[in-house]
Amino acid sequence: MEGVISAVFEVLNFGAIMVLVVLGLGVIAGMMGIFNFAHGEFVLLGAYTVYLFHTWTLPIWLGMLAAPVVVAAIALVLERLVIRRFYAVPVIAMLGTYAVGLAIRESVRGLIGGLYRAVPEPLIGSIDIGAVHIARWRLAIVVITVLVMVGCYLLLTRTGLGLKVRAALENPSLARASGLSTTRIYAGTFAFGAGLAGLAGALVVPVFSLSADLGIRFLIQGFLAVMLGGVGSFEGSVAGAALIGVMSAALPWGVAPVLADVLVFLIAVVLVRLWPRGLTAGRTV
Amino acid sequence: MRDDNEPRHDPSMPNRRRFLQSAAWTWGAVAAGAGSWVLRPTWASAQGPIKVGIATDLTGAIGYAGNANANIAKLVVKEINGRGGVLGRPLELHIEDTASNESVAVANVRKLIQRDKVDVVFGGITSSMRNAIKDVIVTRGRTLYIYPQLYEGKECTPFIYCTGPTPAQQCDEFIPWLMKNGGKRFALPSANYVWPHVLNQYARKVIEGNGGEVIFEEYYPLDQVEYSATVNKIMTNKVDVVFNTVIPPGVGPFFKQLYEAGFTKRGGRLSCVYYDENTLNINAPHEIEGLASCLDYFRAVTKDEPGSARIQADYDKQFPGPIVFAAGSAATGMYRGLKLWEAAVKEARSVGREAVAKALDHAKISEGPGGPAEMVPGKRHCKMRMYTAVAKQGTYDIVARSKGLVDPKEC
Repeated sequence: MEGVISAVFEVLNFGAIMVLVVLGLGVIAGMMGIFNFAHGEFVLLGAYTVYLFHTWTLPIWLGMLAAPVVVAAIALVLERLVIRRFYAVPVIAMLGTYAVGLAIRESVRGLIGGLYRAVPEPLIGSIDIGAVHIARWRLAIVVITVLVMVGCYLLLTRTGLGLKVRAALENPSLARASGLSTTRIYAGTFAFGAGLAGLAGALVVPVFSLSADLGIRFLIQGFLAVMLGGVGSFEGSVAGAALIGVMSAALPWGVAPVLADVLVFLIAVVLVRLWPRGLTAGRTV
Repeated sequence: MRDDNEPRHDPSMPNRRRFLQSAAWTWGAVAAGAGSWVLRPTWASAQGPIKVGIATDLTGAIGYAGNANANIAKLVVKEINGRGGVLGRPLELHIEDTASNESVAVANVRKLIQRDKVDVVFGGITSSMRNAIKDVIVTRGRTLYIYPQLYEGKECTPFIYCTGPTPAQQCDEFIPWLMKNGGKRFALPSANYVWPHVLNQYARKVIEGNGGEVIFEEYYPLDQVEYSATVNKIMTNKVDVVFNTVIPPGVGPFFKQLYEAGFTKRGGRLSCVYYDENTLNINAPHEIEGLASCLDYFRAVTKDEPGSARIQADYDKQFPGPIVFAAGSAATGMYRGLKLWEAAVKEARSVGREAVAKALDHAKISEGPGGPAEMVPGKRHCKMRMYTAVAKQGTYDIVARSKGLVDPKEC
């Protein structure tokens, strides 16, 4: 019984991490139609911000609060300088973001000497229920993920700002004719998605340690999640990410890990074939 | 078509187009020569310098290791040149970046052989890198190749000399120590590539030969970062010793999950034979307290080994900063290789491949990182001292050392 509880928690935890990482990617891909290849590096920048706070002997949680703001600010500058030039040509935009990501990644690699750096959790220790040990920080990640997810959903569906964002993305010319500044909305959405990535990086860095390649690990699975959920929908990305995360963590319990890795992709491809428009097609924001 | 009304520029005056052209040329030059460095000696001899080629991963995922290799090569060459070179000739260092990428590496190593015509090549860190570049160097390039990294063994190609530890050197004394200081039930969680597969074959033999038991041997994708299923298997099967060959990025989260599950708290022993001073930083110290490793050198050895202390002090003085001198990144094997090769060239009185190879076959050095070292005649592998160390609050304590030089048992 204890084994089952801890297994379920571990699987849930990794699912939450995947959702957290994919959220920003889903927002940018879904709302703007841009596959942001620098997403992994925004995650990395968030993680790096926390590491900097740690080296300055400032509290870790302060770094975690600062990370999304810092990353969103950097993304805003990048959007103004680079990304906005490519909205009309998504394929070039993909390459552009890839170049941006490469530059960020290699800069961080230089800054940390190409090594791995441990960052401590803000919440140490575990909650013991009988023989089950649940690490406090992993539990916190699950809780924060749920809060962020609900927050984003409400922001997009229940606020005036969300309405404007959706309007600008659905029909840019009509939005402009109605007096909305689509340039500012695009810039804001991109920065928001990047900020989410920064938050994800900040929260997961104590679990995975800081390294320049931290973000790449999640990039391919992230895109797979977005495809699975359906490009253009917020719930889709979340559902896709949760499914990919849970499969990645759960399959190794049953089959050889090397096989599990392939199976995740195989199952995802089959699902995409069955529901080409995504799991939540037609029923979303 | 030319517009005659266009204002004429004085050709000597810079204009925007000229600036762009020259900038393009500069970038072109940088691109063509990217990853090549030549360190010329400060003095010359009539016969010209001896050219030493270093091919290592200065950039990319294992750049930290490659830079340590390049640093130690600069240090040794500087020292040799300061003492008057070899055979009255100075050493000229040609460093090429293999960029943690085999296809880039092959092109760059070809430059060392065809353009620079070096007399010997040192380098390569991963086995896949060695396999990618060895043919360019040894077969087509007809040049001597010295490979410095700890590895899975079985490299028996003529003219390739290995100066890092082999599975026998890392297991023969270490595994019995683990049994005494951990237990008899082993788990072998591993990254799915050649080194873990071959090392585990050997480790399993030693474990079973000493009355131990392998509870499971399992391979994971190289980038797997979630190990709850593995940790569960370790905990429920009452494994005593985790003999780990999972590599970064997975190793950090794996050790963390093991710690969180209470593996070390209940007396489990963590072990990993590539763990050195660089990898200590992957986890918080308390998560890997008690982790045991077995290598040819640890910084802690300098306390009672004056030769090692001198090398470490020289390195720290010349290369302060984040790139440290450590055994897991092949830097110690690089030092050993360069000094053994120097001894061989002196004995052979030539830099010719056959003559040097003949002398290198039985070359010895009395001082190196970790102590003396000597090639095993006919085997092209190196005998060296081995140390067992345990992580304690973020550093290593030496807990066991080999009685003499340990045999690589290869080829």
